[in-house]
Amino acid sequence: MIQSLIYGSWLLPLYGFFGALLTLPWSIGLIRRTGPRPAVYINLLMTTVACVHGSLVFWGLWNTGSQELTWQWVQVADLNLSISLDLSILNLGTLELIAGLSLLAQFFALGYMDKDWALARFFALMGFFEGAMSGVVLSSSLFSAYFLLELLTLSTYLLVGFWYAQPLVVTAARDAFLTKRVGDVLLLMGVVALSGLAGSLNFNDLYEWVKTADLSTTNATLLGLALIAGPAGKCAQFPLHLWLDEAMEGPNPASILRNSVVVTCGAYVLIKLQPVIVLSPIALDVLIAIGVITAVGASLVAIAQIDLKRALSYSTSAYLGLVFIAVGTEWPGVALMLLFTHAVAKALLFMSVGAIISTTNNQNLTEMGGLGSRMPATVLAFTTASLGMTGLLPLGCFWAFRLGMDFLWQEQPLLAVVFLVVNGLTAMNLMRVFRLVFLGEPQPKTRRAPEVNWLMALPMVTLTIFVLLVPLVMARMSLLPPWQYLNIPIVVVLVLSGLVGFVAGAAISLNKVWSRSRRRTLRLLQDVLANAFYTGWLYQVTVVFVVDQFSRFSSWFDRYVVDGAVNLVGVASLVSGEGLKYSASGQSQAYILTIVIGVGLLGLLFTWTLW
Amino acid sequence: MKKARINPQITTYVDRLLQGKTLLPESPENLIEVVGVLASYGIVLDAYSKNLIFIADQQFLVLFPIFKYFNGEINPSKILRYFWHDRINYEYAEYCMRTMLWHGGGGLDTYLDSDVFLTRCRAAIAAKVRGNLLMRSLNRLFPDFLPEQVRQLAYYSALGQFWRIMSDMFNDLADKYDQGKIQSIGQVVEHIKAGLVADAATPITYAVNIDGQRYELIPDSAGLTFLPDTAIPYVETIFFRGTPFFGTVSYNAQAQQISPDQSRFDYGALYADPIPIGGAGIPPTMLMQDMRHYVPDYLHQLYQQTPRGEADIRVQLCQSFQKSMFCVTNAALNGLLPFPKETDNPEEQTANRKFLSEWVERLMDSRLDVVQIV
Amino acid sequence: MLSALLWIPLLGALIIALWPSPLSSTRVRVGALVTLAITLGWTLYLVGQFDVHNPEFQFSEYWPWLQSLGLSYRLGLDGLSLPLVCVNSGLGLVAVYSSADTVHRPRLYYSLLLIISSAVAGAFLAQNLLLFFLFYELELIPLYLLIAIWGGAQRGYAATKFLIYTALSGVLILSAFLGLVWLSGAASFDYSSTLAQGLPLAQQVLLLGALLVGFGIKVPLFPFHTWLPDAHVEASTPVSVLLAGVLLKLGTYGLVRFCLGLFPTAWLALAPWLAGWAVVSVLYGSLAAIAQTDMKKMVAYSSVGHMGYILLACAAASPLSVIGTVFQMVSHGLISALMFLLVGVVYKKTGTRDLTILRGLLSPERGLPLIGSLMVLGAMASAGIPGMVGFISEFFVFRGSFVVFAPQTLLCMIGSGLTAVYFLLLVNRAFFGRLTITAEPPEPPIDPMLPEVSWRDRVPALALVALIIAFGLQPGWLTRWIEASSFQFVEPPQITAVAPPALLTDPPTPPRR
Repeated sequence: MIQSLIYGSWLLPLYGFFGALLTLPWSIGLIRRTGPRPAVYINLLMTTVACVHGSLVFWGLWNTGSQELTWQWVQVADLNLSISLDLSILNLGTLELIAGLSLLAQFFALGYMDKDWALARFFALMGFFEGAMSGVVLSSSLFSAYFLLELLTLSTYLLVGFWYAQPLVVTAARDAFLTKRVGDVLLLMGVVALSGLAGSLNFNDLYEWVKTADLSTTNATLLGLALIAGPAGKCAQFPLHLWLDEAMEGPNPASILRNSVVVTCGAYVLIKLQPVIVLSPIALDVLIAIGVITAVGASLVAIAQIDLKRALSYSTSAYLGLVFIAVGTEWPGVALMLLFTHAVAKALLFMSVGAIISTTNNQNLTEMGGLGSRMPATVLAFTTASLGMTGLLPLGCFWAFRLGMDFLWQEQPLLAVVFLVVNGLTAMNLMRVFRLVFLGEPQPKTRRAPEVNWLMALPMVTLTIFVLLVPLVMARMSLLPPWQYLNIPIVVVLVLSGLVGFVAGAAISLNKVWSRSRRRTLRLLQDVLANAFYTGWLYQVTVVFVVDQFSRFSSWFDRYVVDGAVNLVGVASLVSGEGLKYSASGQSQAYILTIVIGVGLLGLLFTWTLW
Repeated sequence: MKKARINPQITTYVDRLLQGKTLLPESPENLIEVVGVLASYGIVLDAYSKNLIFIADQQFLVLFPIFKYFNGEINPSKILRYFWHDRINYEYAEYCMRTMLWHGGGGLDTYLDSDVFLTRCRAAIAAKVRGNLLMRSLNRLFPDFLPEQVRQLAYYSALGQFWRIMSDMFNDLADKYDQGKIQSIGQVVEHIKAGLVADAATPITYAVNIDGQRYELIPDSAGLTFLPDTAIPYVETIFFRGTPFFGTVSYNAQAQQISPDQSRFDYGALYADPIPIGGAGIPPTMLMQDMRHYVPDYLHQLYQQTPRGEADIRVQLCQSFQKSMFCVTNAALNGLLPFPKETDNPEEQTANRKFLSEWVERLMDSRLDVVQIV
Repeated sequence: MLSALLWIPLLGALIIALWPSPLSSTRVRVGALVTLAITLGWTLYLVGQFDVHNPEFQFSEYWPWLQSLGLSYRLGLDGLSLPLVCVNSGLGLVAVYSSADTVHRPRLYYSLLLIISSAVAGAFLAQNLLLFFLFYELELIPLYLLIAIWGGAQRGYAATKFLIYTALSGVLILSAFLGLVWLSGAASFDYSSTLAQGLPLAQQVLLLGALLVGFGIKVPLFPFHTWLPDAHVEASTPVSVLLAGVLLKLGTYGLVRFCLGLFPTAWLALAPWLAGWAVVSVLYGSLAAIAQTDMKKMVAYSSVGHMGYILLACAAASPLSVIGTVFQMVSHGLISALMFLLVGVVYKKTGTRDLTILRGLLSPERGLPLIGSLMVLGAMASAGIPGMVGFISEFFVFRGSFVVFAPQTLLCMIGSGLTAVYFLLLVNRAFFGRLTITAEPPEPPIDPMLPEVSWRDRVPALALVALIIAFGLQPGWLTRWIEASSFQFVEPPQITAVAPPALLTDPPTPPRR
């Protein structure tokens, strides 16, 4: 029974896609007299089935060990592409995380989106999202991972573009797609190169190939950088981070997934690629550098945001920066633990954000306050998630931070300090948001704030409980160290950094209007951070500018130089004079010309033997 | 002091109102559209109203109100129908209720902040959570949590009662039209005004039964009545202010598309753009969807003559609905005019003029100019 | 067998043109539809009979026509021409189906469409150089007339430009063929891959050069492409579908069959330059597309970019890249036909294709929501998003070319990224936002109203989408026909399997003459 379920694992990513497909009658408007909810229920059912099937396979593998399922997809010339699933405990665990969070997010969406008529399309996209993510984590070949990462890019575009009539969405969806696409095209270059070099794209074959690969430093570095680019785009790392900010224009239930598991997928592929990137020490250093810049930069930027969703989405970039550091220093275990603990906590954080937005019709932190006493589920969710995100109490991320610092402390203490800084800054930011939203006097927009309905509250409470249970789950999986191995100084420093952060967040003054500081330097800093180091502007004056100028130039060149030259040559050589006057009125002349040329050519043909 | 220049258009509209003409121009099509859409609106409001009152009365502080849209009648075939989403979209009623609650205004809002209410509310809550340990401890830890829920339930009930009266009024209108008694937009406005005035003093009350004990949350003694405490806040919040739609307005704080001052909101029914109806993030789609099932034949015929026939019926319904809401606004303005509009007293005339100018000025950015096109 | 593919449409054209009594436009359309449906049916029957393991020409037919000229009626079908013949039959049907009911001078219009179908099939099947040339020229005149009579405002200019360019292309091709047979002293113009073997490299390069320019005009490649945007903008939708989907493929088919097939040695010598030319063409076409504000022009320029991939793959001439060329031809045929169909619907309903005016066409009640959704899908397919045929064809091209010309391949891949840029500009400008179809807000402010889209406008697009997704998910359904024959075009000592890519060795040096 279990074995047949394991053989049926190819269905795991397909459930989501099936769900998406089945919503078509509603999402394209074939069924118009009744509402779109059947599509919603179908998707919820599909995700539930995926969850149950996944967990059964998980327990099955617990006993039998890892298995691999492979199907030939394309076999042509020297190219051999197969679809293969690597069914390991780790992959199935991640799949369960994705399916579980997807189920909760969809349930949450049922409440959050209850006044939206395009539910069918939304749930179809969520199903598509889930299917692509499940496929990414299960795939054991770079090709299928790339294939599905691109589908993730597509569904991100469609989800961000969900409210397509909203003016900011028009550009946000486009920019999100293009930013990710920059990473994807670079990654595709890496994939094509690897496919040519190694002959196979299965991860295991690639790892074998690396042992004997003989590449020059330049080529290895270029390859490594190309392979990093894709995940960097997916994980919203510097300099491809801005899309996550813009993606916040999309519906909140999608943001729940985007900030937790979607970014995780990118990092997951990076972890699988890490044994290949190792070929180039420079690439590893770049990985670390990107990670450090993003981790510290994004943590700072988050503090200056006045938009509720953006204040938290930047911390996603920051945490994924830590993951990059972990991968760059070749500690994939740290990366995985960080991904897992961050994903659940961040998903919960975004659920509480959804509850706040839905109740207050507002995302502006400066217009909030005093929600705490009236929204128990939300405030508890936010608090739990904040603690789960930071290293203060022994909840999820605490253990990931501890593990990372344990490894880094000896060799690269500076990187360990980055962990502390991110922890402290995140704690400070979360405390700041907490005070602005939940404490203080209610403002006009938060004056009436009943707790959200059960459809949103239930998944939120469920996930709150799960976040609290994460340490137990980790202990069950033997992921926590025995007590005697705990490095006490590290734990103390970690807790201290969290404490300092929370205290700082509690102590800073929060002027409600967020007035800009009188002091010039401080004001400058505020502006720089609020605008995310002006990366948008940076894109404008570099890539966008170059492409724009080149395209204008090509267009101009085409109109005047190429066309002009060819027309001139044509006029001069073919017909001298009147015959070639390009005009609408010259129709009859043109007819004649046709016939002349046609007859001439035929005549040429048939008299050929005579010349 | 510089004298504020008055937009000549405002004066035109004010003159028109004072002459007894209507905001919406008279035309046979407009009459069919307004009456037809109000006829179907009356039917939909009836369902909304019943459900809101059911939830307020029967689902009082139920933690998982799974069957809250069933109005107490739960059977397999109904469950199946609801599963197929073959039902009225009660979510829209709740959306309106939440919008009213959020904006506040009127006597109900003030009353819900009073100690009188809080005392009555706590008594009802205490009775409700008596046997439930979880709820009891939640109530102790978060003392404002349940009272806020009860305030919301009070709005459920109040909006339900308001719509009850409006639904009957619109159904009457449809009947009268069928009997040939309504033949102009002016008569429609007059009918609505008469209805509003007749029910102006109808009391708004709310009480729940818990374990056989009756708890009066809004007693008669609170003195809340139909016109000032529900109708006027309703017009203000639903017709004028509304809430920004996800589908057309960015909530991004940095983009600053949404005013920090709720009184400057203009997302209400009189302002909304009907073209995006049917798309994502446009809540009124649900209302139009509900109304499309009850469109009378004469309105169907009118719609079928348009270029797209009935393929874009929801947008057309929205356009007609907007016209009808201008009639309701018109009726409300006529009803609330401080002095009879035929008055000869110059002071009273000025007061009337001032009153109307203020409202018409708010309408200047609305779709009033669009509905003028006949 | 094969002749039927030529003669059925031609017969149909004759019957329509010469029918004694007056015919209504609808009837003529049905007649043309039936003719092409029979042709498509016959094509599919041939597909069923095709032996995928046989790399040689199949169903060959021979009739000595003018032996004194070396012109023979020799037809044959192999893995290179089979997919293209199918695309021709399919898109011919689509073009006729999507023609308006009330077309002006219907008998001439539909007979011309049928003649094009017949001539293109002939060109793909011809096994004799002169026969190919005849068909190549035969297709030109009806297309010229289709643009010149049923085109837009500037149709005279565009049609004449098309005619002159293509006629020039024909002259170059003809002279190369004549030169080849003359110089090699062959007895006839019958196609044989060994024709040029005995010639000195210099002569080969010269002949190949003439052919390259000739076919380069037709493909079109930079800098011979400027006729294409003009022709597309003026052509009606069905003609654009045929032009982009089928006729450009004559050029790329010529590149593979006659350039690579006849001059393998010279080709190898020129290959690095050709790869460089491909890069220029791809980047130039893509960049120019970004700057366009006419939807149709944008799609036309995208063709310039995407056809450049074929030159790249052709230059590389590795087993995979040759399969990639055919795959890309089919994929571009389907995707560009889809894009032109959709742009055509937008134009028909809104009266404009101007990207500075159109907004919010996705609007569900008043706009064109399904057309918009299909447009998103087409844009994604064109940008090479997996799951659709564009991705796998680009992957074949890039992967096949990378092992030979690594830097050029990587540069061409940038074009793939740029495709996303311009098509997202198109989709997000025209389809997202609030519905607007006029430059100035109308006074009085009437709400925009577009005519309803009928299923007739949607059906051909949906059929193409089905194929785009089917081949994207199951590329094997297409590669199996191509694979055996494609090896014919790969020289025996060519790089196979895993060779060290050029990036890792010295850059390829062009041979000096």
